[in-house]
Amino acid sequence: MSAVSTSPDWSAVAARARVRNRVTTGFLYVVLVLGSLPIVVPYLWLVTVAVSGRMGATTIVLWRTLAVLMPALVVWSVVRMAVVDLRRQRALEFALGAVTLVVLAAVTGPHLHTDNFRFLWNSNIADTLKGAGGVGKRYPSVWIAFGNSLMLAGIQMLLVVTSSTLAGYYLSRFDFRGRGGYLKGLLILQAFPAMSLIVPIFLIMYWVNLIDSLAGVVLVVAALELPFAIFVMKGFFDAVPWDIEMSAMTDGASRRQAFFLVVLPQVKVGMIAVAVFTFLRGWEEYVFVRTLIFGNSNWTMSLYLFWMQDDMMGTDYAMVSAMGLFYIVPSIVLYTLCQKYLTQMSVGGIKG
Amino acid sequence: MAKIELRGVAKRWGEVTAVEPTGLTIGDGEFVAILGPSGCGKSTTLFMLAGIYTPSDGDILFDGQRVNDVEARDRNVGIVFQSYALYPNMTVRDNILFPLRFKNVDKAAAARRAEDAARLVQVHELMDRRPGQLSGGQQQRVALARALIKEPQLLLLDEPLSNLDASLRLTMRSEIRALQRKLGVTTLLVTHDQIEATTMADRVICMSRGRIEQVGTADDLYHRPNSIFVAGFIGSPPINLLSCGISAGTMEVGQAKLRATGGEGACVLGVRPESVILGDGPFRGRVGDLEPHGRETIYHLETPLGPVRALEAGAKSRFRVGDELSFALSSTLVFDARSTRRIDGAGAQTPA
Repeated sequence: MSAVSTSPDWSAVAARARVRNRVTTGFLYVVLVLGSLPIVVPYLWLVTVAVSGRMGATTIVLWRTLAVLMPALVVWSVVRMAVVDLRRQRALEFALGAVTLVVLAAVTGPHLHTDNFRFLWNSNIADTLKGAGGVGKRYPSVWIAFGNSLMLAGIQMLLVVTSSTLAGYYLSRFDFRGRGGYLKGLLILQAFPAMSLIVPIFLIMYWVNLIDSLAGVVLVVAALELPFAIFVMKGFFDAVPWDIEMSAMTDGASRRQAFFLVVLPQVKVGMIAVAVFTFLRGWEEYVFVRTLIFGNSNWTMSLYLFWMQDDMMGTDYAMVSAMGLFYIVPSIVLYTLCQKYLTQMSVGGIKG
Repeated sequence: MAKIELRGVAKRWGEVTAVEPTGLTIGDGEFVAILGPSGCGKSTTLFMLAGIYTPSDGDILFDGQRVNDVEARDRNVGIVFQSYALYPNMTVRDNILFPLRFKNVDKAAAARRAEDAARLVQVHELMDRRPGQLSGGQQQRVALARALIKEPQLLLLDEPLSNLDASLRLTMRSEIRALQRKLGVTTLLVTHDQIEATTMADRVICMSRGRIEQVGTADDLYHRPNSIFVAGFIGSPPINLLSCGISAGTMEVGQAKLRATGGEGACVLGVRPESVILGDGPFRGRVGDLEPHGRETIYHLETPLGPVRALEAGAKSRFRVGDELSFALSSTLVFDARSTRRIDGAGAQTPA
C-alpha cells in the first residue's frame, strides 16, 4: 500500500454495485422462469384443456394463454429490475396484472365452457360419451370413487398417525432390547421400493381374503407408510424435554396423563404433518389399488381416472383433464391449509 | 412438611455409580443445599427424593416411613426444574392449577389457591399469558407457584437460578429464602454455585463423585474444610494449594522453610487469599499481575513458596505490577497429600 491514500469516487463505486446487483437479479429471474416452465406448462395444459377442450385435447387456449403470459412475464421482470421506487413498482405490477387479465379474457373467453365437468352432476357419464354407447354401466358415479378415495386416504391416515405417535413416543422415551436395531430397521424398510413386494402382498391379501376390498389396501398402504412416519414422530418426541414429563408426574399425573396432557400437545405439529402426508399418499395411491381391487364399486379416483383414459373408445382427453383437475383439488386445498405445519416437519425430523 | 432421611441410598446405572451409599437427614422445615460440580450425583439424589428415579440400594424415609416404592405422583413433592419445565400449551393459570387437577379440590377453592400462590410469587397479573410470553424470572416464579400450590411436604429446587441473569439471581435468592422461611417447607436445593448454597441454605452438603464430602454450615465448609476438594471448591478466588513436605516440625514449600505445627510427610498447604496479609511480614514476594475488582484487588505474587494469590480489600490498589513487597500468613490449613483429608490443628504461618 502506498502511503498516499486518495479517497475513491464512492458514487462511481456505488453505481457499479447497483448495476451488478440488477444484472444478477435479472439473470436469476431468467433462470427461475426457464427452470419452472417444464413444471408449470403441464398444469397449464391440464387446466386449459379441462375448461376449453371439446372431445379431445384442444390446445388453442393453452397456446393463447402462453402467448399472453410469456410477454407479461418478460415485462414484469423488466419492471422488477428497472424500477427502483417500490411504490411505482407496485403500481406498474398492478397495471400489468390487470392488462394481462383483460387480454387473456379477450383471447380465450369465447372458448371456455364447463361441459367437461358434466361427470360431476351426470352420474351416468358413459351415455354422454360419443362412440361409447356399449360401455353402459361400467362406470359408476365419480362420487363413489371420490368417496372411496376419501375413505382409503382417511382411514389409512388415522391408522398411521395413531400408530406412529405411540411408537414414536416409545422409541424416544424407553430403552429396550433391540432398540437400535429397530431404528435401523425402520430406515432400511423405507429404502426398499414397495413395488418389489407386490406379488407377496397380493398372495397374503388373497389368503386372508382381503382381495378386492378397500380394507386390504388401507392396511397395505398404512403398513408401508408407517416406518417413515414413526421416524418423524420419534424426532418430534425427542425434541420434547424430559423435564416437562417428570414435572407432570411429580405434579400428580400418571405416565398416561402426562403423555396426553403435556407431551402430546408439544408434538401436535408433527402429528398434523404426518397426517397430511399420509393422507395425500393414500389419496394418490395407484399401484396397490390397481393390483388388489377389481370391482368398480371399489374404484378409487386414481383407478377411475385410469379406466377413463384407458378403456374408452377414443379417449375424451378433455374430460380426462377435467377429472384430473377434480382429482388434484383436495390435495391443493390440504396443502394450502396445512402449509405452515408441513414446513416444520423437517425441523422436527432433523433432531431424530 | 416432613423430616427426610436417606439411609445408605445409592444409585447405579449399569456399571456406573452415580451416587455412592449415602446417609443424610433433613430436618422438618430445614433448608438444605447440595453443592457440587456437575456430574457429582446431586441431581440424581434429588430425583430419587422426587420418586423419578428409584434407588438401587438403601431406603428413603419421609417422616420415618419408607417411600422407595411410592410413585412420584403420590409423594406430594414440589419440584422447580432448572429449565422450569412449564407446560407450553397451557396458560400460567392452568400451569399453576395443574397439580390440583389430580386432587379432589373443587373448582372455586382451586382457583382461590392458584390466585394465592400466584400472588405469593407476584405473577397474579400474568395469569392468562403463556410461558413463551414470560421473561426468565417470571417463568421461574410461575414454576415456584406451581410447586407450592399443592402444599408439598418437600420442596426440591434443581439449579433454580442458573438460567437467570446476575441481578435477577440476587433478588430471587433472597425471595426464595424468605418464602421458605414464611412457609416453613422442608427444602432441598441443588446447585453448583457456592454463593447460592451458602447464602440460602441452613446447611450445605458438599458432594463430589457420588460421595458426600462434608455436611456443615457455610462457616464450617469455608474455615474447616474436611478435604482438599471442599477447600478448593468453596471460596472465590480459590484457596492457594501448595505441595509441601513436613519432617520433624519443619515444612518445605518451594524454596521456603516454615515451622509446622502438626503433620508429617507429603502434605498440601492451603492458604486462603485473604489470609495473605500484604505490606509487612517475614516473607518476600513480587507482584506478577493484579486484577482490580473495585472494592478489592487480587494480586498474583511470585514468592519463594510458589505462586500465591492474595486478596486485599480497599477501593485502591496499593501495589503495582513488578513491586517487591513483604507479606505474612494469618492462618493456614494443612492436608495430608495421600488421603486428601485435613490434618486437624496443623498449620504453618512462620518461617523456620
